[in-house]
Parts: sequence; structure tokens; C-alpha cells
Amino acid sequence: MSEFKEYKKEIMDAARDEQLRLALSRAIKSFRGNINDALRKFPHTIGLADEVRGIKEKAIGDMERLAQQASEAIEANMGKAYIARTNEEALSIIAKLVGKGKLIVKGKSLTGEEIGLREHLEGHGNEVYETDLGEFIIQQLGSRPMHILSPSIHVPREDVARLFTKVMGREFPPDTEIATLVAAARDFLRDKFFRADIGLSGANTVAAETGTLFLIENEGNIRLATGAPPVHIALVGMEKLVETFSDACKVSEVTWRYANYTVPSYVSLVSGPSKTGDIEKTTTYGAHGPRELHVIFLDGGRTELAKNPVLRQALYCLRCGGCLYECPVFAVTAGHFGDKYFTGIGAVWAAMMDKDMEKAAALAYTCLTCGRCQERCPVKIDVPRMVVELRRMIAEGK
Amino acid sequence: MSRELIPPGLVYLAGNIASKQNIIGASKEQGARWAKDLNLPKRAETIFFAGCGYQFSGQLETLMSLLRQMDQSVIGAELPLRFANFQKRLGVDLAGIYRKLLARDTEGEAGPLRAAVTVLQKLGIKFGYLAEEEPCCGAPLYQAGLHREFAANARQAYRKMKALGVKRLIGIVPYCTHALKKLFPLYVDGFDIEVRHFLELVIENLPTRKLRFPREAKVTYHDPCQLVRYLGLVEEPRRVLGSIENIELVEPDWTKREWATCCGGGGGFETVFPLLSQILAVNRAKELMETGAEIIVTHCPGCVLQLENGLKELKAKNIEVMDLAQVIAMSLEE
Repeated sequence: MSEFKEYKKEIMDAARDEQLRLALSRAIKSFRGNINDALRKFPHTIGLADEVRGIKEKAIGDMERLAQQASEAIEANMGKAYIARTNEEALSIIAKLVGKGKLIVKGKSLTGEEIGLREHLEGHGNEVYETDLGEFIIQQLGSRPMHILSPSIHVPREDVARLFTKVMGREFPPDTEIATLVAAARDFLRDKFFRADIGLSGANTVAAETGTLFLIENEGNIRLATGAPPVHIALVGMEKLVETFSDACKVSEVTWRYANYTVPSYVSLVSGPSKTGDIEKTTTYGAHGPRELHVIFLDGGRTELAKNPVLRQALYCLRCGGCLYECPVFAVTAGHFGDKYFTGIGAVWAAMMDKDMEKAAALAYTCLTCGRCQERCPVKIDVPRMVVELRRMIAEGK
Repeated sequence: MSRELIPPGLVYLAGNIASKQNIIGASKEQGARWAKDLNLPKRAETIFFAGCGYQFSGQLETLMSLLRQMDQSVIGAELPLRFANFQKRLGVDLAGIYRKLLARDTEGEAGPLRAAVTVLQKLGIKFGYLAEEEPCCGAPLYQAGLHREFAANARQAYRKMKALGVKRLIGIVPYCTHALKKLFPLYVDGFDIEVRHFLELVIENLPTRKLRFPREAKVTYHDPCQLVRYLGLVEEPRRVLGSIENIELVEPDWTKREWATCCGGGGGFETVFPLLSQILAVNRAKELMETGAEIIVTHCPGCVLQLENGLKELKAKNIEVMDLAQVIAMSLEE
């Protein structure tokens, strides 16, 4: 109960934070405008989302085989693939690949967040930089993400200016233009990208038949992080696997559209290490991109979760983040209503992945079960139904 | 996993259902008092299912204000609620005693129920009311995760209604209607009672002449979650409002129909997070006020309480909350 009391205090403090409320209400307004425009411009997305629901249903029942298939494809492309059963196993594989005293540039990855990847590598004496601007701000603040796509949704620009003054050793007055702050982050990180030993990323979806990782972004940090350093390591949850290249294209389009973009600036497809055969037709690895590609597929409870007829829907999630903008509780508390993942669906992850029932209960009983998230969800995940099922498990002990 | 993780507010509601067959822990006679002068038959094939929310809205309002006060104190609402649960196990209902001291006379407060009965009668529908024999739908048990208890309660309620000769139910409280219509068939083998919502019957039997609200009014409509997203009643309330003269319907740009924002009172949430629930009520009230409406019409006892509290917190003037059943009843008078 003390954990619940603490949690309740945390969300009430957030709910009374006027600045947070303002930041969130602006974000929600702009999200709704953008997504309405995006869906109006590309109305086929709604039908495509239905199709993606079918693709995910099939893939989630078949994760084991798809992980094998993808691993073989990646190895055939001269990359290395690993299937990690537990978070510890994934951390240990990556730590071994990385070693000590390395400079690492990292793209935003929820799966990385899930297993505490950055902290683990830092603990092993490596220097790790988050390169997504929001995530960079969060890392430098020593805070935790408050939204899956906009991790620093709760930080106003004045606070960013103060933070950058500290981090970069030069003065940024509170009224610094946003563009100046963005440029400062770019200058600061540019050198890191090119000096880095290793680039870390996740993936939005993976085509098993070709072993292709799909990486969706707008900033360009992922292109640099996965392109400039000599080694690229990708950590991917097994629920991201789909069968075909064409399935992965559909999943990607639906993901970014429901994340409120007509089209993102960049989609990178990575299937193997960089290579060239331009001198005497001799294939040589590590031309301009990384000479090594390592992909770690993480189970971490996913195959177990897939067996639960109600809760398996949590694995259909594309992580577009659209539902968060529809949650009335999230609108006043941001990610405080959450753990590693947020809101009602976050309760399922806390219970099934982290096995933290106290946290899961706190989140499950914070959900209004109002169902507006399901209206927004491209794959129509029935969050209220999952939350009520979770409450049943809490009450009845399975 | 353990029952200890269920918030005490929900355990409190569940305990009341188990002991008294209503969420507030009052006597069944007290609950049925609203209908005593209406002379509704107690036996009929079609039965009006009144549910707890409207019957006990006065007590619920008192309980909520009590919980908010406790939640504001350093102790928080959990400890006193646990204490109340413990006391009940000993046979002392301290919270109940306190409630009775604070409770106002309940007779005037079941307005929407009396209005709904009038409307159904004027539309020529024949039905009865089980009064103190009406079982509890047990929806809060389901919401709390107590599904074994919910299933047992549902089977018992079904047997009781069957024994009383019930063939059809007219639900009005969204939570009850959803539980009876969608959940009972999942938990009761051979469930064969037809369940329809009040609004569905109103739509089918709406007179061809226009109804007329006694004064010109700009109204907005707040969709209760359970009605719009669980029962799919999107067009019905709008068609009813559209058929009433003197009423101009003004709706929020975005947060309407299936996109309506929850009032913050969902499934016992308000007993777990009384103050957060109030913040959400204020937010929703603000969204609805932006339409410039002078009446917020909704159709759920929980939403009515929440939105009234939201308006009160905002010190909003010249705007009130009304239940759709009352609006229809007033418009049928002329």
C-alpha cells in the first residue's frame, strides 16, 4: 500500500502542475489537428490499419518461428542475430559485444528503456549519448520519458535553455529561440556520431523473410547513429516481427500515420552490414556504413504473454502513441500514469513483463476504462477489457 | 497477486453489494422509495430496471464529498476506507451511520427515474418495477476484478428475476444496462432476458409530432462512456434532442460522440482517486462550457454528479446539468 500511496501522490502532484497541464493541452491540440489532416489526406490508412490488425494477430501467434526466420535472413546478409529469452540475457549479449570504455550513440528505443540498456552500458564504463532530442534532454535531466514518442513532452523551453547552459558550458538565456536550442544539440552531438565506436537502435518493425529492420524517424539521428559508427547493434522486441517485407511496409505506414505524420522525414531499412564489391568484385564489409550489424531479438516474457487470450493484444501495439493523447488521465499526469509503458496498456506490461503486480495494480486501477484509447488505436486494442482482466488476475490471483 | 491490491474504495462498494444488494449499503426499501406513489405493478413481463446510481445520487454525492475531504487530508482516503471495510466485517457500519447523518431526503433526487417512467408511460409502453425486489447488477464487482463474485451475483439475480416472471428489461443506468445486456450472457448459462436501453424504446415510440421544451435553450450533450462506446448509442440521444422544439444542440468540435471525454467517474475510479476524478470532471465541464450551452444534457447518474461537481468547482453561472430523461419528460408535457 505504501507504494500505492507514493504513486498516488506522484500523479496528484503531476495533476496539479499547471505548467505540465499547459504543455500537455498544447500537445493534444496539435496532435488532433495533425492526425485529422494526415487521415484526411490519406484516407486509405483506416482500411490499411484493419489489415495491419490481421497481420499482427497472425505474427504474434508465430513470433518464435518469425524470430528464427529473421535470424537466418540476417545471418545470410552477413549480420549476426541473437534471440534473448530474458532481459538479463539481452543485456549480457550487448555488454559483451560492446566491451568497456566505448563511446556509444543511441537512438530512442522503448525496448532499451524496458531492460535498462543505457544504464547497464554506463555501468560497464561506457559513455552513452541519447541522440533523439527529447531523449537527450531527458537523459541530461536525469529524468524519465513521459511519452513514448515525445519523451520530453513535459519540459518547457526555458528549462531546456537552463539545462543546455549547464551541459554545454555556454550561456542560453531563458528566452533562447527553440531553433537555437535545436542547433546547439546538433553541434554537441555531431562530433559524438563520428567518434562513436557503436551505434545502438531499436526497430519499429522487422520483416522476417528478408531480415530487414524498419526505422522510422524525423530528426535524422537514427540515420547517423546507425550509419556513422563502425558497429550497429539493434535491440528488437519479438512482437515487432512480421512475416513479409510488404507486411512491414504496411505496419510502418500505419504506425507513422497514427503517430500524426503524413509521412516521416526518414524511414531507414537495414538488412545487413555495409558492403562494397567495387574493387575486383570482391565483397568487402564496412564501406561507408557499419562493418558489423548485430540484431538481438528479445523475448522477455512476450511468448508467454502471447498465450493469454485477452492480454496478448498488448503485443499488437505499434507504439504510435496516439492513444496517450486520448487518455483523460494522461492529459493531466503525462507518463506519471505509467511505468516503462504508459496508461492502461502500461499496466499490462508492468504485470506481464516486469512481474511487478503492485505497480500493475496501481496502474490498472488508475485506468478509467473509458475506452477512448481504443477508438484511436489503429489496431483497436481493447484496453478496457485488458485492464479489467488484469484486475481479475489481481483479485483472484490468476 | 492478492486482494490486498484492490483499492479499498472498490472493496467498500463490493461489500455493500454483497450485504445489501446496492452500492451504497442502504436498505432496499430506501432505494425503492422514489416510486412508491407511482403505482407501478410489481409483476410484469417487461420490467423497468432502476439501478443504484439515480436512486442514491444524494448519498453518492455525500459520499464523494466525504472522500474528497479525506483525500485532501494527510491521511488520504485509503485508510478510512479500509477502516470502514473492517468495521463492516465486525457488523458496525460507521460510514453508514455518518452517511445517514449527512444524507438529505432522497425522495426528490430520483428525478431522472420518475421522468423516465413518465416518458415510457406517455409513449404507451407497459411495464412494471420490482421495487425492493430488484436485484443489483453487480457491475462494480466486475470493474473491481471480483469476477467470481460478479458471476455468482449475476446468476442469483437472473434466477430471482426469472422467478418473478421477468422476460424483458428496460435499463436506464448505463453501467447496469451494459452489465445486464453484455456481461450477464457471458456469465449466466442460458441467459434469456431481453435487455434494452430506455433510449432505444424512446426512439422507436417517438410520436410523429415534435416535442416541445418549455423554453428556448442552447444545450450540449455529454456522451457517457458506457452508452456511447460500450452500448453504441450515438445517434439515439441526438435524434431525440433533434426532435424537440426550442432546443438548439451545440456540440464540442472534437470531444463528442465516440470521442467524448470521460467525466472522470468511471467504474468506481472516483472512490479510488476522488480528487483526480474531480480534476477530470472540471476539465470535461470546461470543454462542454466552451460550446456556449446553457444546459449540459447527459444520461448517466455518474456523469450528472461529476459534471455538476465540475461546474460547482468552476463557479460556473447560467449553466446547469440535466438528465436526458428529464428533458424528454419536460418536452412531452405540452
